[in-house]
Amino acid sequence: MTDSLILGLSSGSACLATCGMVMFPYLMAGSAGVKRIAIDLSLFLITRLAVYFVLATLSWYFGQALFSNTVVRNIVPGILYIIFAVMLVWYSIGKNRKPDCPAKIVKTVNNHRLVPILLGLVNSLGFCPALFIILTKGATQGTLVQSYIAFLAFFIGSSIWFLPLPLAGRIRKKEVLKNIGILATGLAGIIFMIKGLTNLIGGIING
Amino acid sequence: MKKVKIIAGICWAFAGLILIIILFPGLNAFSVSVSKLSFMKLNPRYTGGEISRQIISENCTLDIRKPVFNGFLKESNSGFVQMDWRGTLPERFKDSIDYDNDGKKDFCISVNRTESKSDLVGFNDKVKKILISTPTSYGWAARVGLEK
Amino acid sequence: MDNALKTAVMRKSFGKSLLYTLPMILITFMFISGGKPNFSDPASGLAMLMVFLLVNVLYFLMHFTGKTDRLRAILFIIFAMSLSYTLIHNMLEVRKSMSFSEADILECKIPFCHLVIPMMILPAAFTKSIIFPGSIIGGFANISSMVVLWVVATIVLGRGFCSWGCFYGGWDDGFSRFTKRPVIKKISELWKLMPFAVLLMVILTAALTLMPTYCSWICPFKAVTEFEQVTSVESATKAGIFLSLFGGLVVVLPVMTKKRTQCSFLCPLGAINTLSNKITPFTVKIDKNSCSECYKCVDVCPLFALTREDIKSGKVSMFCSKCGKCVDACSKQAIHYGIRGIPAGTMKNFSRNLFLFVSFLFMAVFSAGSIINTFHGLLKLIF
Repeated sequence: MTDSLILGLSSGSACLATCGMVMFPYLMAGSAGVKRIAIDLSLFLITRLAVYFVLATLSWYFGQALFSNTVVRNIVPGILYIIFAVMLVWYSIGKNRKPDCPAKIVKTVNNHRLVPILLGLVNSLGFCPALFIILTKGATQGTLVQSYIAFLAFFIGSSIWFLPLPLAGRIRKKEVLKNIGILATGLAGIIFMIKGLTNLIGGIING
Repeated sequence: MKKVKIIAGICWAFAGLILIIILFPGLNAFSVSVSKLSFMKLNPRYTGGEISRQIISENCTLDIRKPVFNGFLKESNSGFVQMDWRGTLPERFKDSIDYDNDGKKDFCISVNRTESKSDLVGFNDKVKKILISTPTSYGWAARVGLEK
Repeated sequence: MDNALKTAVMRKSFGKSLLYTLPMILITFMFISGGKPNFSDPASGLAMLMVFLLVNVLYFLMHFTGKTDRLRAILFIIFAMSLSYTLIHNMLEVRKSMSFSEADILECKIPFCHLVIPMMILPAAFTKSIIFPGSIIGGFANISSMVVLWVVATIVLGRGFCSWGCFYGGWDDGFSRFTKRPVIKKISELWKLMPFAVLLMVILTAALTLMPTYCSWICPFKAVTEFEQVTSVESATKAGIFLSLFGGLVVVLPVMTKKRTQCSFLCPLGAINTLSNKITPFTVKIDKNSCSECYKCVDVCPLFALTREDIKSGKVSMFCSKCGKCVDACSKQAIHYGIRGIPAGTMKNFSRNLFLFVSFLFMAVFSAGSIINTFHGLLKLIF
């Protein structure tokens, strides 16, 4: 649970950095006040949580089917962690990250009530390296409940970054905070790379 | 206002000077005061936890500590129980441990000091594996992993 | 001509320099010897005398020559190497190995260093305990005294701790002086935010795992102090990381860039000390009236604390560690030590004298123990 939380906390900052500027106007546009913002944000987060639970279920069943062999179970996740962690580090380097959030497609939606739900859907299905890592983790858990817990921890970690979104306009050094968040994402990638390497080497040595 | 800022700055700088001058002679006293703060105690994950029971035999004492499940915000599902053997220990020894004081033995740990080998036989599902088993300055210490 | 004018203003006469050194002589004599110098062991007595002379000669020269950085660096580098010698020597004597064992961790015998402090904060607040296998009070490098030393030094010196107190900084400071010209000249400004990212990650991981993760996994200085025994894949990975980071960030990159890359790009304590620069009484100021915008100070700054924009705006950033390199490099004396509240360009000598006394005194007394120990060891080796 700890590393899922850490992954969420570190990658959520980069996610916010790219998607925040798209979502913020939609969360703010036409708002009557704090209550409207809270409702929109809640809908957005609930949608993300629902999608993550579906992904947790799918990844676990997929893992059960694929990782039944002990050797595969020991070695393949290690390799996957390394690949996705490298992608996460690559993703954290500014020029490699697409400046646009996938959520920009939501601009075409006219119904304002659907917008937070659609934003949550698109944001959670935005296949970024962090999501690949948590999918790998979900697939390797012993029980379905453990997979849910991993995704829940990832959701909590990443959602914390969205909570101050309504106050974003008042924060002065956004660029500095954004850069720190993105560097932290790269570091999370390195952590998972080391975890993957340790798992892989341990798996090879043990059989 | 400018003069006030200058005077305040110089006073703050001299306060810094005094702090540095008294820092080293007063270090012991300051350290003792700091050590008495409520959070200045080592986490049980490092100390091994409080001693729950002592079993005293002829040449050695066995300290069985309380199980440690400390977590950050709440207790963790996985933890350990630490045992310390103090005194003159035989080359091989074996002890059955009831760590939760329910009258039933939970596991049996055997230690071969010559070969630095330890074995564990758990009597229930909560007992997992030996985390650490090592000679110490006072004798021998072992930690056995537990789950709630 | 300009350089001569500048040093003529900052430097003092022999007599005046000696007068300024007198308080340092008295205080260091008291603090280093405890008021009762012990010459029963000739080697120990001689080592103490050598250190006493070293610190006071350096301080005297700071006033006599008007220079700061190189003289500071001599003591700073010797401190770093002495501390490593002291720790390694103790380890080899007691344990016959540079690595600590599981027993050392169980018995909470690990010496505490200030780099652990950021990781302690959240667990201390939430669990009311310290997540480090050390000694709270008593013994070598106990937690309470290191916390007191760091807190006071940080309040007074701010990020100046990184150039006047940290017993690791001398390593990359030393390696950054190996070459005359940098091989790598252009480095992105973004990297100097990395310590904040590292700080965020170590605080989070340490709180969640209740383990000092920076120390366990990525401290480069484990390569020159002590580390966990290599008994598994995990501990072997850790050892590999320590050695790689030391080799890369402490040796190779400082040599190639002439910058203190470990301090600038990794150290999480540096990030906290950077923030504390906002409260310290001592600063470095830019006198815009004297500044010719030659940007020599920007080139020489080892911690990326100065940019051209900073010079134009007349404000030194909070990354400044007050090492004095820019002050020594400036031919117009436009960049100088200052005190908060005093306008730039005024009371330069007063500010410099006061700052030097405070910072050098801290460094001299803090470093004396390990340097005496090292000199004592070397003297015993020679004689």
